[in-house]
Amino acid sequence: MKTLIIVKEKDYDWLRPIFPGIHPLLVPICNKPFIEFLIDFAILAGSDALRLVSDGPLSDVEEYCDNGIRWGIPISYGSFLSSDDMELIMEKNHRYCSGERILSMNGFLFIKYDKQHAYRELFAARPEGEILSCSKGSLSLTGTSGETTSCDETLPLSLLELDSLDVYYRLSMEILSFSESPYVIPGYSIEPYCHIGRNVVISKSAEIIKPVIIGNNVQIMAGSIIGPEAVIGSNVIIDRESTVKRSIVFENTYIGEHLEVQNRIAAGNILIEPESGISITMDDPHLLTGIKSSRSTERLIQSLVHRVLALLIITVQLVPFLLLWPILKIQGRWKKSINSYYTNEEGKTLLLTTTAIERKGAISLVAAALSLDRFSLLFSVLSGRLAIIGSGPIAANADKSAAFHEMESWYKAAVFSYAEAEEWPVSGSEKAIVERYFAVHGNPLLDIAMTIKAFLNLIHEIPAP
Amino acid sequence: MIINEKVVNNITTINLWGTLDASTAPTLRNFKSDAQPASPIVINMADVDFLDSSGLGALVGFAKEKRGAGGDVLLACMNNKVRKVFEITQVYRLFAIYDDVEAATLNAEKKQTSL
Repeated sequence: MKTLIIVKEKDYDWLRPIFPGIHPLLVPICNKPFIEFLIDFAILAGSDALRLVSDGPLSDVEEYCDNGIRWGIPISYGSFLSSDDMELIMEKNHRYCSGERILSMNGFLFIKYDKQHAYRELFAARPEGEILSCSKGSLSLTGTSGETTSCDETLPLSLLELDSLDVYYRLSMEILSFSESPYVIPGYSIEPYCHIGRNVVISKSAEIIKPVIIGNNVQIMAGSIIGPEAVIGSNVIIDRESTVKRSIVFENTYIGEHLEVQNRIAAGNILIEPESGISITMDDPHLLTGIKSSRSTERLIQSLVHRVLALLIITVQLVPFLLLWPILKIQGRWKKSINSYYTNEEGKTLLLTTTAIERKGAISLVAAALSLDRFSLLFSVLSGRLAIIGSGPIAANADKSAAFHEMESWYKAAVFSYAEAEEWPVSGSEKAIVERYFAVHGNPLLDIAMTIKAFLNLIHEIPAP
Repeated sequence: MIINEKVVNNITTINLWGTLDASTAPTLRNFKSDAQPASPIVINMADVDFLDSSGLGALVGFAKEKRGAGGDVLLACMNNKVRKVFEITQVYRLFAIYDDVEAATLNAEKKQTSL
């Protein structure tokens, strides 16, 4: 048997703004990414291959699950269009599905199962058709198996629609409440209601009240009280005299001294009330904050390369700029404007002076060919506010803020854009394709080549007078 | 890059072989298919072993041209490497992608008869 997991973006969209930066399929439930519960279940049901298909991005999930070697089951990935129906999705995976019995898990659903049951035999005896369904999805079997019998017995399973933060929170608390979990939970457990990860430092005066699940690399300082009903993610620091009760603390979170977290979800510097979904962003890093990983060496080299390139281009442009700028200014063809643009950092903007050269006459054409309109922006590269090559800066306004949220992972405000280098349309949704490509494949050497390419392409762009 | 075209059940299938990058993208960009402009085309990517942003640009441009004329482009049999490029650039949102040429051809046929 093979498993096909079908997840539609619209079913998990509600989770994205709550936990930005975490793919909804990787949101941890009791310190275990959601997708792992589905994989575990597929294996328990007797699957020997698994495919995950979605109309949304899966790259983060693919990076995490890879080819499934960790679970001993080959995992493949696929995509479909959001308008596709179930029949078309199956056709798009025809090669994977043909001649095999397929267990389809359709929807953003949590399958409540018990690892003690022999699902393999139960599924093998099950005839083709829907096994379970709810308003947001279903679990079904297609294809027949040799062992099929007319079995009307209800399977020891149920589906839970993950459609709100409250459901997510209650599910986590429910899993905590089992003395012997029906799921495989990460961590070491020598007594019921308690799972503790690797490299956990607990101060002698700290109190741990079961049930609790604690991740890896956690520090619990003196006088802290953890539990009952607490899920502490990996790389978490709970500082002195703090209390965490009936709460979930996401990984990479610092809980400050004397802080009481009760019936809440703490993720980075965000504190969420699960029932209402209301969240507060803490500005004081001494209370609650995210633990950020340090900047990688490659990024530092990249930023250095960008600065050197900017300096070189400034040197090339300096003389023509000093000669042509006063003439264009007098002619009224040098048009400056100051606008606010999004930076690479979440929610931050910067003021930039941009220039437009009216392309009339030989002088303005020469100035445009030498990209003198970018001259002032090059100084922002030296100060580290812009990259030399990346995405064209996007003007900050309220209408674009929602759309910008989606771009945050790859947006890098720059003087030249990858779209200009690759001669893609520099506006509209298509330029995003090339920018996403280089956000992943970019490196300092490639940036040098692409900057030169963009610079030369701008020269070609100028129409002959 | 080798481009080969064949017609099965009135559906044109274009088979691509080799690398689709900056040096070979113009071959695809300048390729003129014998198919009717308004009929769907299946591109078999099984033998495309590398794809970069220029190759992607050529594919998107090809599909845009085809759709502009009322047709469509369906992609089939991508290997993992190529699929990853579609994934990170989110170009999968622009194409119907099949894991099998036959299934893609059948659907293209359905599309054609519904026109």
